[in-house]
Amino acid sequence: MFRLKYVISTTLVIILLTITSVIKNQTRILEKKLSKLNKEINLKEQDINESQLDFYFLTSPAELEKKIKTIGLNNYSPIENSKIFLSLTNFTNLKNKISLLEYKDKNEKKAKKN
Amino acid sequence: MKKKQKKIKNINQASFYFEDYLETNKQKKSLKNKNDLQDRIYLIFFFFMSLVLIFTIKITHLSLSKSSTFNQKTSSLKFTLIRRDIIDRNGVLISRNANSGHVAVIPKLVKNKKNFLIKLRLHFPELKINEIEKKLSEGKYFYLKKRIDQFEREKFWALGEKGIKFENFQARMHAHGNLFNHDVVGQVDYDNYGISGIEKYFDKELKNKKLINKPLRLTLDTNIQYIISKELNQAIKTFSATGGGALLMNVNNGEILSLVSLPNFNINKRLSVKDKQYTNKITKGVYELGSIFKTFTIALALENDLVTSKTIIQDIPRSIKCSIHKISDMKEHPKNLSVEEILIRSSNVGSVILARKIGEQKFKKFIEDSKILKSTDLEIEEVGVPHKVKWNKCKLETVSYGHGIATTPLQAASVYSALVNGGEIIKPSLVKDNKKKIKKFSLISPETSKTINSILRKVVSSKNGTAYFADKNGYYIGGKTGTAEGYGNKKSRINSFISVFPTNKPNYTLLVMLENPKINKDLLYEYRGIKTKAPYNTSGWNSVYVAGKIIQKIGPILAINNEEFTNQHVAEKINK
Repeated sequence: MFRLKYVISTTLVIILLTITSVIKNQTRILEKKLSKLNKEINLKEQDINESQLDFYFLTSPAELEKKIKTIGLNNYSPIENSKIFLSLTNFTNLKNKISLLEYKDKNEKKAKKN
Repeated sequence: MKKKQKKIKNINQASFYFEDYLETNKQKKSLKNKNDLQDRIYLIFFFFMSLVLIFTIKITHLSLSKSSTFNQKTSSLKFTLIRRDIIDRNGVLISRNANSGHVAVIPKLVKNKKNFLIKLRLHFPELKINEIEKKLSEGKYFYLKKRIDQFEREKFWALGEKGIKFENFQARMHAHGNLFNHDVVGQVDYDNYGISGIEKYFDKELKNKKLINKPLRLTLDTNIQYIISKELNQAIKTFSATGGGALLMNVNNGEILSLVSLPNFNINKRLSVKDKQYTNKITKGVYELGSIFKTFTIALALENDLVTSKTIIQDIPRSIKCSIHKISDMKEHPKNLSVEEILIRSSNVGSVILARKIGEQKFKKFIEDSKILKSTDLEIEEVGVPHKVKWNKCKLETVSYGHGIATTPLQAASVYSALVNGGEIIKPSLVKDNKKKIKKFSLISPETSKTINSILRKVVSSKNGTAYFADKNGYYIGGKTGTAEGYGNKKSRINSFISVFPTNKPNYTLLVMLENPKINKDLLYEYRGIKTKAPYNTSGWNSVYVAGKIIQKIGPILAINNEEFTNQHVAEKINK
């Protein structure tokens, strides 16, 4: 009876010790992974931060104008305000309007001739 | 019976008792050994249990503690902004913190100081070597260069000097260089404290860690700011002016879309600005704005029902005497002028006659109500305080046409906005969704405001108007010119133009101001179908010209009369 107690307690201790070491090892592996990922995230965040700054600098009106000057204005001529369409429906509506007016105009001319 | 038996036993014992001492000792020894073994087992058991307990506590501690306690290397690499971004009204980035650094020297660690100085002179000729030599001999830690970029860092690193130390630092970067004025967006010092403009005014809010990922949105528009800045820079060159300023403001809510003051400098560089030419001409500069004030006189006369816009003022003299001063007009005007004609032709004498009709008390009250002589409550500290007016002899007469009264262009523009928006006083603002509100107060009635709008339109569109060059198709621009001498400096000259557009439903006011412009003899104007050179150095021939060019370019961005332009385009297409 007395021996059984010892056997149980020693086994328990060994099991707990093993579990502890396994958990600790696993935690350490996870920690390393986490640390690596965090490092990558931080670097990416820093990159994004600086890239955005670069983007806003490179797309600032002054920089774009410089680029246009070097590329040449022939390829990038300004568009009239009325030719800019914000959506496809906007464009089709205008086309319909023009064709309707043209149709009416033709009919009127025909009627006058007749 | 039991007692008897006990007695018998005792009798037996007393009779004979033999004890084996050897056997007893053995038993005792074995018992002792047994106890010792048990104690050891307990000790070992206790030891292992303690170990388990210690590990358990440690694991619990690790699991409960923050990751940063055992991830110190990573946390040192972590990039956390210490100042919020500043963006424009469309979300375009204006200012942001980025990683940078300072280079310092620990003199004790520099073994060969002469060699180190030679290397520095060779690779960094811009550094002051004498000063560095002095600091090296003093032996104290000092900065070699502040706010270095990656390229410079690598160059310093390549020197291979043990005594060089790099300090990490977050620098405030402005994506648009000198597009926004140093005292509007502002600058920060090396410790990331705002020292001017919005950076200073909102220093606490910009450092608020809870809001660190939420940028501060301004009312400014980068594209419009660029167009206005470019045109104004061009105008300064064309008219050989010493400086200039422009302001675009929404007349209904006071949002400032553009604020330009020239000359300016790149706010990414830290300079000590002591030169007066860098003063913000729109917010801090105090000027006599000349004939622009005539609009206030006319508005006041209309508001008090003294006249209507069509009332004819008869027999207007060539000049009026006031005390020892003689007030006259630059050009000769007809003797009989309607009230609106007085503003269209910009008659000084006509304005004086109207001011005398209004009277000093009412004029004073108007000046007080409009707050034109008070400093503007803007979100920057760089705001000028207008000069107080002493209402002595002839003050009413001179103030009626904008002389002897000086204010900031910003304040003048905000009162102008009230005149055209239906009469409501507005508060200029540089920050979107600013919670500050002002009490609603009407300076003039909506009817008077409507009449003023139609007169201002005629100043631009009519044959006798002074602002012909601002008449751009489709934008219905109205406004008033102002040509004046510098306040307290008769040699200087301020030519300004405040425009309102579209006058049928006012949305924006644009103020353009040129400091000491000159006639450009090489510039040919297209004036009412004739090519001509500028006959006078008045705002009609420079500030108005610039304002017209600006509005033509910013009009499509502000989406003014888009429909009208589209219809025009349709009509053109059909006619082809």
